[in-house]
Order: sequence, then C-alpha cells, then structure tokens
Amino acid sequence: MASNAAAPFWRSAGMTYITYSNLCANLVRNCLKEPYKAEALSREKVHYSISKWADGKPQKPSKHSHLFFLH
Amino acid sequence: MAMAALRREGRRFATPLISPNPANVFRSSLIPSEEPVLSGVRCISTQVVRNRMKSVKNIQKITKAMKMVAASKLRAIQTRAENSRGLWQPFTALLGDTPSIDVKKNVIVTISADKGLCGGINSTSVKISRAMHKLNSGPDKENKYVVLGEKAKAQLVRDSKKDIELVMTELQKNPLNYTQVSVMADDILKNVEFDALRIVYNKFQSVVSFLPTVSTVLSPEVVEREAESGGKLGDLDLYEIEGAETKAEVLQNLTEFQFSCMMYNAVLENATSEQGARMSAMDSSSRNAGDMLDRLTLTYNRTRQASITTELIEIISGASALEG
Repeated sequence: MASNAAAPFWRSAGMTYITYSNLCANLVRNCLKEPYKAEALSREKVHYSISKWADGKPQKPSKHSHLFFLH
Repeated sequence: MAMAALRREGRRFATPLISPNPANVFRSSLIPSEEPVLSGVRCISTQVVRNRMKSVKNIQKITKAMKMVAASKLRAIQTRAENSRGLWQPFTALLGDTPSIDVKKNVIVTISADKGLCGGINSTSVKISRAMHKLNSGPDKENKYVVLGEKAKAQLVRDSKKDIELVMTELQKNPLNYTQVSVMADDILKNVEFDALRIVYNKFQSVVSFLPTVSTVLSPEVVEREAESGGKLGDLDLYEIEGAETKAEVLQNLTEFQFSCMMYNAVLENATSEQGARMSAMDSSSRNAGDMLDRLTLTYNRTRQASITTELIEIISGASALEG
C-alpha cells in the first residue's frame, strides 16, 4: 500500500523514475557494512559536463562532479 | 666567476674519465665542425635520415604503448558491456524495437568518444545520426541532436549546429557506472521534449568489427497510442497491470527506466568499441612505423656504404696516381 501512495509523491516533487530509483539504490548502498559500504559508494562516482545549446551557440556549461547523493 | 672556473676545471677532469679513449672524443668533436666544409650535401642527407629514423622510432614506441593501454582498458570494459546487455533485452522483448516509427519530435542521441586516434567509430556514429536526421525530416517534424562526447560535437557543429540541443562531455573521467549514466539520462529527459529518442552508437562485436546501431525509445504517449491503435506495439495490451497505478503512470516509469538502461548499454558498448578501434588503429600504425623504419634504415645504410666506397675509390686512385 505504501508504494502505491508513494508513487505520485515523488512524481509531484519533480522527480523522474530514474532519480527515484537512484535514491532508493543509494539507500540500499548506505545499509551495507563498512568495508563494502565505502567500496560501493566510491564505485558510483558521477562526473560529466553538460551544456545546453540554443540557436547554434553553447550556453554556459555546468559541471557535475560528486559522489551521488553522498551528502 | 669562481663557479665558472670550477666548472671548466671539472669538465677538463671529467672528459678522460667518461670516455676510455680520449682520441675518439677528439675525433667526434672535430668532425661535425669540419664535415660541412669538406663534403656538404652527402653528409647532411645522412644526418636528416638519421633524425627521421629517430623520430619514427619514437612514434613507434608511443603507438605501441597506446596499444597496450587500450588493450588493458578493453578487457576491463568489455565484460561490463557484455553484462549490461541483459538490461535492455527484457525491454526489447516487452516494448519491441521500432526504429521505423514515424513521430513528430525526434531526438537523436549521438554517442561518441572524447578522444581521437580510434579509427572511424566517431565519424560512423555521426554519419548514422545525419542519416537518421534526413530520414525523419519532414514539413512539420522536428529533429534535435543530443551529443555525447567531444568528437561528435566537433563534427556536428560544422553543419547542423542549429539542431544541437544538449552537449555532454567528459564522461569517462571515472570508470563508467550506472549511476552516472542514469543521471545523464535524467538530464536529457528533463531538458528535451521528444516523441522518440534514437540512440546512435557503435555496438561492440569483436576487436575489429563494430556495428553502428540505433536503439529507439518512445515516449509514453506514443507507446500508448501505438498499443491502442494495434500498430507495432499491439501485444502490449495483453499484459495485465498490477497495483492501483494507471497505465499511463506505469508506462511513463517504464520508458524512463528503459531510456536509462538503453543509454547505459549504449555508452558502454561505444566505449568498448572505442578501445577496440584504438587498439587496432595503434597496432596498424606501429606496424607502419616499423615498415617505414626498415625502409629508412635501408636507404641510410645504402647511402653510407656508397659514400664509404667512393672515399675508398678516391684514396686508392690517389695512391695509384702517386705511384704511377
């Protein structure tokens, strides 16, 4: 029942299913015991740079570089 | 002043220590200063060839090292790519693969490498993307590019920069993982409006063959429309949906997850193809450098021998002229 009620909540918070499932996966990773936990968290590093283009010109680029949801 | 004197002293002492044969040092230091005066053209040409040989040898060393690096990277990433194939196969079984679907808003996701020196895989995916663009263009249709990787960006900027919507680079700073690719997929979904996403990448088959591949991900509305009209996805209605969610919700979650899985597989396959292509490119270039080196050595030795022979002839004829 809880999952049925939860589905619209994360959707209305502006999340996509991908963000939601990533959050859940990270929760599971945080439940691991210590040597495995650090390993699992350091494996999932996110780094890329993205720039939006409009009218054939790149807008200001932004960089994503963090350990996902570690904070 | 004192330092300079000391250094000069040091050098004078060091010379006999370094070379066991001081006469040799004397000759080698003397000849280059005199040689251009004595016989200019001949000696300079061997010098040039010698330099060329040295640089070719260095290039060969570099390409060999790059080949080794690519080979070791390939082994690590190949298993990951092969394992990730299990992610998209159930989706294709459920939703089918419909590259020929005709929709209004097409988004072409071109996947390429950040670095060059890997054969033609980047230009292949750009070529296929352009073909998809042409194939799907029409009076009331919209085609946009989402570009992953520096190389495809450089090629697409030239002729279709108006259609570029998003550019993502520096993917491979850390080893590729699902979290990263899914965050990227999320960014694409949030920033781009689409009816169909077409992911263009090089599927890894073996170290020497890469299949340019297009995977299509449809938006939930299009999936529903197709399923209802009984078109290509007519079988989807045979499935029962459990729980209280509506079909539209389930389909939206499903297509989002499908896109991130497809992207993950595509990025990995393309990275594997990149390493494979780099390996074979570097292999052939070190072979070419070896061939070139052989040819240069042959020329060099021949010239050297010719000059020695000429000198001998000169000496002998001079001696015989003195005798006679």
